[in-house]
Amino acid sequence: MNARHESILNHARSRWLWFSLALSLTCLIAYAWHSPSVPPNGGTWLGYTLGTIAGLLILWLMLFGLRKRSYSGSSSLRGWLSAHIYLGTTLILIALLHAGFQVGWNLHTFFLILMLLVIFSGFFGVYCYLRYPTLMTRNRDSATRSAMLEEIAELDQNALALADGIDPKVHSIVLRSIQNTRLGGGVLTQLRARDDSDAALAGIRAALEAREKNNQAAGGAKSGQTIFAMVDFLASGTNDRQAEALRKLIDLLSRKKALASKVARDIQYQALMEIWLYFHVPLSFATVAGLIAHVVSVFFYW
Amino acid sequence: MRWLIRRVLKQGKGAVSYEEDVHFGEVLSIGRAADQAIFLSDIRAALNHARVTAISPGNYKVESLILAGIRVNGALTYAANVGAGATVEIASTRITLLDPPRDFEAAVEISALDKTEQEAAKARRAKPTSLKQTWLGKRLPSWFAFVAVLLFGLLLPLASHFVPPLGRLLAHTGLPTTASWNPGPLDAAHRFFGDDCKQCHAKPFLTVRDTACTHCHTRMAAHADPAHFNLPQLGEARCASCHQDHLGLAGMVNTGQQLCSGCHADLKTRTAGASQLEAATDFGKAHPEFRLRLPAWDASGQFTPQLTRLTPQLKENSGLKFDHALHLKPGLNSPGGRRDLHCASCHQPDAGGLAMKPVAFESMCHDCHTLGFDTFAPDRQVPHAKVAEVVYMLDDYYAKRALEGGYTETSAPGFVQQRRRPGEASLSPQQTIEALSWARDKSRQVADSLFTGRACVTCHTVTRDAAAANTPGAGWKIAPVRVAGIWYAEAKFTHAKHSTMQCKDCHQADTSTSAGDLLIPGIANCRQCHAGESGGSKVASTCIACHRYHQAENLLLKQL
Repeated sequence: MNARHESILNHARSRWLWFSLALSLTCLIAYAWHSPSVPPNGGTWLGYTLGTIAGLLILWLMLFGLRKRSYSGSSSLRGWLSAHIYLGTTLILIALLHAGFQVGWNLHTFFLILMLLVIFSGFFGVYCYLRYPTLMTRNRDSATRSAMLEEIAELDQNALALADGIDPKVHSIVLRSIQNTRLGGGVLTQLRARDDSDAALAGIRAALEAREKNNQAAGGAKSGQTIFAMVDFLASGTNDRQAEALRKLIDLLSRKKALASKVARDIQYQALMEIWLYFHVPLSFATVAGLIAHVVSVFFYW
Repeated sequence: MRWLIRRVLKQGKGAVSYEEDVHFGEVLSIGRAADQAIFLSDIRAALNHARVTAISPGNYKVESLILAGIRVNGALTYAANVGAGATVEIASTRITLLDPPRDFEAAVEISALDKTEQEAAKARRAKPTSLKQTWLGKRLPSWFAFVAVLLFGLLLPLASHFVPPLGRLLAHTGLPTTASWNPGPLDAAHRFFGDDCKQCHAKPFLTVRDTACTHCHTRMAAHADPAHFNLPQLGEARCASCHQDHLGLAGMVNTGQQLCSGCHADLKTRTAGASQLEAATDFGKAHPEFRLRLPAWDASGQFTPQLTRLTPQLKENSGLKFDHALHLKPGLNSPGGRRDLHCASCHQPDAGGLAMKPVAFESMCHDCHTLGFDTFAPDRQVPHAKVAEVVYMLDDYYAKRALEGGYTETSAPGFVQQRRRPGEASLSPQQTIEALSWARDKSRQVADSLFTGRACVTCHTVTRDAAAANTPGAGWKIAPVRVAGIWYAEAKFTHAKHSTMQCKDCHQADTSTSAGDLLIPGIANCRQCHAGESGGSKVASTCIACHRYHQAENLLLKQL
């Protein structure tokens, strides 16, 4: 048994890293050895060779999208991804050597930029895939998201029951807090992990400051004010039984906020792991179109 | 005001029954408190949760009594005026406002949401928790990006190729045309038609044809005749084999020496003996000694230089007698005093800087080498380089002197020596004949001495027709002269480019005492500074630095 954890980067003893390094080195040596009578460009025999390699690489890299969807392949998907990453990185070098490091204000350089954008968005993807799964596991703390959501719902019920025993005003506040708990939302909300936990702590601080300035600052739907309102209530002097219940309620709500915060972070990690693909995939199709336009135009005006 | 409150009771298996109740009052209160008109037992309901006021039959005002607001027709609100049919959802209860039936001013229906309805409502209200559930997508943007790049990168430029007016329109609006395909800046000379790709790229998917080049470059010479030299591949070589555009100001002339050395390595075998050129593959390492055009003249006096391989023993025949060492001595005695001569006193570059101007007697030699012939008239000189004119001029001069009189040389007759005053009687016919006879003899004698002793022979080789050997002043011949000229016609050497050098660095004139010394340097002299393509510390000089490719004299490129 291989005790070492195998990631997409060191799959099969980094087979694809070594393959890519060998390919890069071969291309570099050929480029250094090649001394055309004109400045190096895509039109020399080495230029055509490197261009063909790069073009085939792009098409092969695109096949990863198909491979990902098929479950019948004999090779492992991790192996494919490892090769996808390393060969995609090698493509930068091969493409630059193919062009002889020449750039200009034309279709060909636009195609190069498109390709680089795809590759660098892929780099971000690699970073996400290496970083966020660990963070996600740690954040979830061996629970699942649905379990956490169920617990939140349960806590809400318990909190309402407790609040009801204290005062209608408290009940109303708790009710509002439940309604205002936001989990998930639009793209930006998911990416920002806007949840109630941070807002609660910040809200308490802000509310305390605000209260000093403005005694009865009204309004807003800041859930942090839920706790603040209760602290207010506690301080206003009620009987012991109610105070006890209120403390319990605050415990419950704190627990709920911690959970909500975890869920929001869970959503954020998942969104971060997915968001780059919404650039990577469309840009890669644009790159294929660029490849077609590049090859056709070059040979159209041979 | 009478309210009808109808409760919907579900009894399993889809059976439903109704329970009706009447409430009196302007306001219908809803909540978990015991005093509410509609009592909700759900913990999620506040004690006083909301109230409904009947404005008119079928019109209601719904107000929330809690901070969180209530959900009317699915939307959170604090207060709303609604008509009949509106629903208010509180916890697991749905309250529907109805059109009041007869005898009532207002009516509501209360039903409990069953589990599936509650789930559905919850799902409806749930916010997306993954990007897949948002508006973001991959398929549509992918198609869009693919089509957009293909359209702007390929299809529009293609259209501009096939429909020129469209191309002009696109260019005018800043949209991509075939110009966007330009891989690099054109050669400076080609830019004036560079917007029109078709000028060179006439047919799609075909390489640029030679006809596109010779369309403008009509007078461009071929390299050599493929038929004559048994080299069909010479005719197959494309212009673009050596000349590639779109490389900017780097220029289109390919200076690589392998372009030449490929064939010139073994030209004799390649051409089956049609070419006798020695192998030349690298100027520094493999290049034969130069062949120079040695001055020579054919029987009719026509200049026919002989292409001769340079050897250390080789002498030249310029037709002159000249001692370089003597002339370069400082402080030469001249009619104008002491003088120092330098190379440039006689050898001056032509206007193009390529070669030297021919040496001109009048401007370069004449100051010292005067062509005077008579001590009685030191200012008179015979013309240079015109043999016949010399004798005519002498004849005229002495005839005039004889007839004028006053020529005091002792060999002359007395009446020639005697000076005549104006008005004095002229010579008698007999005296005239004698005077002219003397003048003729004198002029021929002077001519002979000029040709053989005093003037011409100093620098020139003078010969005499055997037939005229006994006729004074006749039959003299000056050997033809070629001093400066093109020695290396197969290569282009430019003096101007070597102006940082001194003359003596290449031409050993200061030790040359004979005009026969060949002062033209050979390849070893050039190799002191120049080497082949990989020149090391020397000047890297490929074939094209000295030779031309398009050098055929009678064959144009477009004739191939």
